[in-house]
Amino acid sequence: MTVTRSLRILLVAPFFLFAAVPQQPREADKDTTAMLQANYLYNIAKLVEWKDAEMRNGNFVIGVLGSANLYQELIKQYSTRTIGKQPIEVRKLPHSAEVERCHMLFVGRSDLSLLPEIYKRMSGKPTLVVTEYAGALEDGAVVNFVRVDNLLKYEMSLANAQKHGLVVGLTLKNLAHRVEE
Amino acid sequence: MKRLLHILLSLLLYTGMVQAQGDPLVEALRKYQAGALLEAKGLIDQAVVGADHGSNAEAWLLRGFIYKDAYKNATDTTEADTLRATAINSLRQCMALDTVGTYKENATQAYDYLAKSYFNDAAKALTAMNDVRAQAVFASYKEAALVLDPKADLRTREVEFTNALGTVYTKRFSATRADTSMFDKAVGAYEHVLSLDPENYGANYNLATLYYNRGVFKIRRIDAEDEIPTILQVQEASRGDFLLALPYMLKAHDMNPTRRETLLGLEGIYYSLQDQESSEKFRRLFEEIAPEEHR
Repeated sequence: MTVTRSLRILLVAPFFLFAAVPQQPREADKDTTAMLQANYLYNIAKLVEWKDAEMRNGNFVIGVLGSANLYQELIKQYSTRTIGKQPIEVRKLPHSAEVERCHMLFVGRSDLSLLPEIYKRMSGKPTLVVTEYAGALEDGAVVNFVRVDNLLKYEMSLANAQKHGLVVGLTLKNLAHRVEE
Repeated sequence: MKRLLHILLSLLLYTGMVQAQGDPLVEALRKYQAGALLEAKGLIDQAVVGADHGSNAEAWLLRGFIYKDAYKNATDTTEADTLRATAINSLRQCMALDTVGTYKENATQAYDYLAKSYFNDAAKALTAMNDVRAQAVFASYKEAALVLDPKADLRTREVEFTNALGTVYTKRFSATRADTSMFDKAVGAYEHVLSLDPENYGANYNLATLYYNRGVFKIRRIDAEDEIPTILQVQEASRGDFLLALPYMLKAHDMNPTRRETLLGLEGIYYSLQDQESSEKFRRLFEEIAPEEHR
């Protein structure tokens, strides 16, 4: 569902008239959550180690399910960067639980229904699943975005990270809103 | 105008006040009638400083008219401002001397025209984004209007002007976002409007939008290499802006609950405040109102 998020100052017509604001599609450059999530994902990627040797070669793949603006933000800001020596590759995934191999997988709220199957398919695989719903860590997510005091933060499960062969750096752990051991 | 000239001529020729040929007032009137404004100006200036006409309301009225017409013909802004100021002062002097109100109607009409021209010029200056001139000319408008009617309620005009001034500051700020003084001036302008008219929809909406956009901008400015503590700091700063925006947008919404732009505004503010429940509530309201119902 697209919603306009752009706010416009009412323009002054030639003589002090207030102009109506035209309706526009939602603009990615007003989607603050997407901007913040993109930055968090990049930082998280830098502060986690993938134990699987195969994951330390080739592109660093970030899969996005469900958030077009997050995908755009990742492409715009991070697709030319690297994690270590691995160039970042951002993929917009189709609405399906048959997810390709990727280092990080973000599943947005619009694709929650796919998660049970995704957790099952990703079990034991070296993919860091990131979500944004209450109770996600209990379900199997490694990182989950939470809303605390009007701020976007993250919580994480070290146990889930371990199950996916991920080593979480101390900094990432210390900066989390909540850590499940 | 013909009526005015007729009155003046009658007075000058028949009252016996002025009979001598070469009297600068009579000559000024003749030149004025002939359309020789430059010469008329010189003569009328000479007349009003003389002993015969210094306290003569007719002389000051004629001076007001001569300078008004000269103002209308002027092409240079500075010159026009000077001519208009002289016309205004002359008409004011006429009204002060005209204790029985013989010239009141003519003087008032001309004075009112000139006072309104200040307001129009303030609007033109804003369109040209010249806030300094706009404020100066608007101050002249207020002063002139209050002379004519000391009890005049100029709040409506001031609200209109200041809202437009706020928009000029906002545009200038938004152009580069480098000059934050423009942001402060825009806020000051809208706050001034709300001090005059707390129910002003435009000022409430624009102030909310100003703060909201600043909050969004701070987040957008986060650099890819910024680390998590920075993300949190920026979010906290932006949250302050979103919280400042909220009451103004809520007020605008209360004033017009079916206006789509405020529903969208609230949806955006709550979204950025990470309050999804409220954001979705206003999104639903926004989607329920078809664009054609937009008031």
